[in-house]
Amino acid sequence: MGLRGKLIRKCRARSPWILLFDTGACNACDIEVAACLTPRYDVERFGTLLRGSPRHADILVVTGPVTRQARDRLIRIYEQMPEPKFVVAAGTCATSGGAYWGCYNTYPGLDSVIPVHAYVSGCPVKPEAVLKALSILVEKIEKGEV
Amino acid sequence: MDEKEILQKIVERFGEKVLDAKVIGARRITVRVPPEAYKEVVSYVAHDLGLSFLSCLSGIDRGENLEVVAHIGYSICVLVRTSIPKDKPEIESITDVLPAASIYEREAHDLLGIVFKGHPNLKRIFLPEDWPKGVYPLRKDYAPSHPKPLRGGGGE
Amino acid sequence: MSFEVPIGPQHPIHVEPLMLRLKVDGELIVDVDVDVSYLHRGIEKGLEVRTYLQGLYLAERICGICNCAHSLCYCLNVEQLLGKEAPPRAKYLRVIVEELSRMHSHLLWLGHYFHTLGFETLFMYFWRDRERVMDMLELITGNRVTTAYNTIGGVRRDITPEAESKLRKALDYLEERMRYYDKVIDSEPTILARTQGVGLLKPEDAIKLGTVGPHLRASGVKHDVRLDDPYSGHDEIPFNVVTWDTCDCYGRVKVRMGEVRECISMIRYALDHLPSGDYRLKIPPFFKAPEGESLSRVEAPRGELVHYSISNGGTNPYRYKVRTPTLANILSVTYMLKSRGDYEVYIADVPPILGGIDPCICCTARVVITDEARKKRRILTLSDLERYSQEKGARRR
Repeated sequence: MGLRGKLIRKCRARSPWILLFDTGACNACDIEVAACLTPRYDVERFGTLLRGSPRHADILVVTGPVTRQARDRLIRIYEQMPEPKFVVAAGTCATSGGAYWGCYNTYPGLDSVIPVHAYVSGCPVKPEAVLKALSILVEKIEKGEV
Repeated sequence: MDEKEILQKIVERFGEKVLDAKVIGARRITVRVPPEAYKEVVSYVAHDLGLSFLSCLSGIDRGENLEVVAHIGYSICVLVRTSIPKDKPEIESITDVLPAASIYEREAHDLLGIVFKGHPNLKRIFLPEDWPKGVYPLRKDYAPSHPKPLRGGGGE
Repeated sequence: MSFEVPIGPQHPIHVEPLMLRLKVDGELIVDVDVDVSYLHRGIEKGLEVRTYLQGLYLAERICGICNCAHSLCYCLNVEQLLGKEAPPRAKYLRVIVEELSRMHSHLLWLGHYFHTLGFETLFMYFWRDRERVMDMLELITGNRVTTAYNTIGGVRRDITPEAESKLRKALDYLEERMRYYDKVIDSEPTILARTQGVGLLKPEDAIKLGTVGPHLRASGVKHDVRLDDPYSGHDEIPFNVVTWDTCDCYGRVKVRMGEVRECISMIRYALDHLPSGDYRLKIPPFFKAPEGESLSRVEAPRGELVHYSISNGGTNPYRYKVRTPTLANILSVTYMLKSRGDYEVYIADVPPILGGIDPCICCTARVVITDEARKKRRILTLSDLERYSQEKGARRR
């Protein structure tokens, strides 16, 4: 498994396909993550593609505090993703509930609903921070640390 | 027409049905009417005075009563308000006068429990499907709290 | 035979949840039902448990794209309650940042709209030019999105001469790019075929359904809050209200392109005539607002935004109501998506028509398709629908 495992992890780390899901965000984090696709930040040079279906994705990037209505859909998407799967909580709202403390319809953070592997803080996140988080996660995937 | 003229016209037309009417700022008028006269006054302001645009419809919890406020007008905004008792919060819908009200009345019904008689489609619009019936978040007796977490948190 | 079409939540570019139940006969849409519930966060109640200054930071996050409009509307509302007015320099600075924010929102929408029609290159071009606007916002306010520039009593930072000269250069660049895009849009036959005659909304219907913003102005109705209810020095700054009389998606594109040009000229005027003096009133962070009510309206990029608050003399608002422009435009979507007589609407037209109102609903869009004859349900994602729309664009070319 040693050499084969290393090879598989290396290939996996070279083309992490991501799925972006908004669980009730104000959209600021979504447009900043989407700005990563544009020519200035260009996340595609790392082999990352934005996919439309959970069955094709390795990494789930979630923005927004999870609202009650979005919770079931989020769990269903998480279950549809094939293993191994990784979750990135983008933004302060996904990390801890953010600005929405005291609001009756939001959960206090993404990790109260599904397990999370990386947290990117910022309100909203900067595209550079998202790129950095993805590159650290991908390095850990290659080394087998997650 | 400026705000004072509009106020005068409403007061002249409806006489004692107007419980309170005043100018509260530049281009802002508020008119308080009893629930029976609410639809008539809204119709007069929208059609006869020509301020045909419904900007918004708000619901407010005033303790013993619930208040419904219709904001009408592009430039000068006329706030037509009425109070209804909390134990029987029913009022006539204004969707046949101003079709734009259909979505705002659904919101007031969902979050405050006001029943609009004659509304074509008074269904839930904002709250999730599993929200308990009879609990209205914008009422003053509701204390907001986060839903219970599904797992411990702290990441893997 | 009729189907109901559901749109699923994962949308790669611009996720805004909205539940649409379309009844379709083959490819033709015959009936529509709208459900807006995925994004409800309980903000109005949240504002009641916060002080006025704390509430400013929540109000700004009602929508990240129109954050400037929300924070401006909130500040105007609280200033009206307190009976104060921002100094003249603050008013002009607010206009500069507000118009920059309008430009970024329109460029974002234009890029996304052409992406749904199948033009990836135009999408990349618009978002690349939008980065210049984001740089200017970052230079003046300190952040790209969620600028936190407006505060109760004025603005938080002054503009430096260096920022001013960079801003002027960026405006010249953007003006030249907008001329190029105008030529491209008017000369590309596929764009004209996919937008002209699609999503018709007559002016009398638009007013009846409570439509606001560029969507309303594309139907020829000259209504703009900056003209009808001026709020921050707009009675001194000259500008044209851009309208178009074709009442279709093409008109919506042209109105927004025209508004970007108007933003450029308004910012230039504000920079040339910037009053001197303070940019902020001294207001303590904790205060009790006097009893009363106040209604403030602002022309957000998507339309008229209304904030209505009632104070009972405490440190927190008693009731704070927000009416966003997209809620006002939802009814017109139901109206425009129904086929009537000669006016035919196909499933592939859903993204351009829905996109035409520039939805900022921040919820998961879901559309359910049910086949009544065969008693089956099909669920399509928004990316499936967009693929239909893009394939239709490719077939035309």
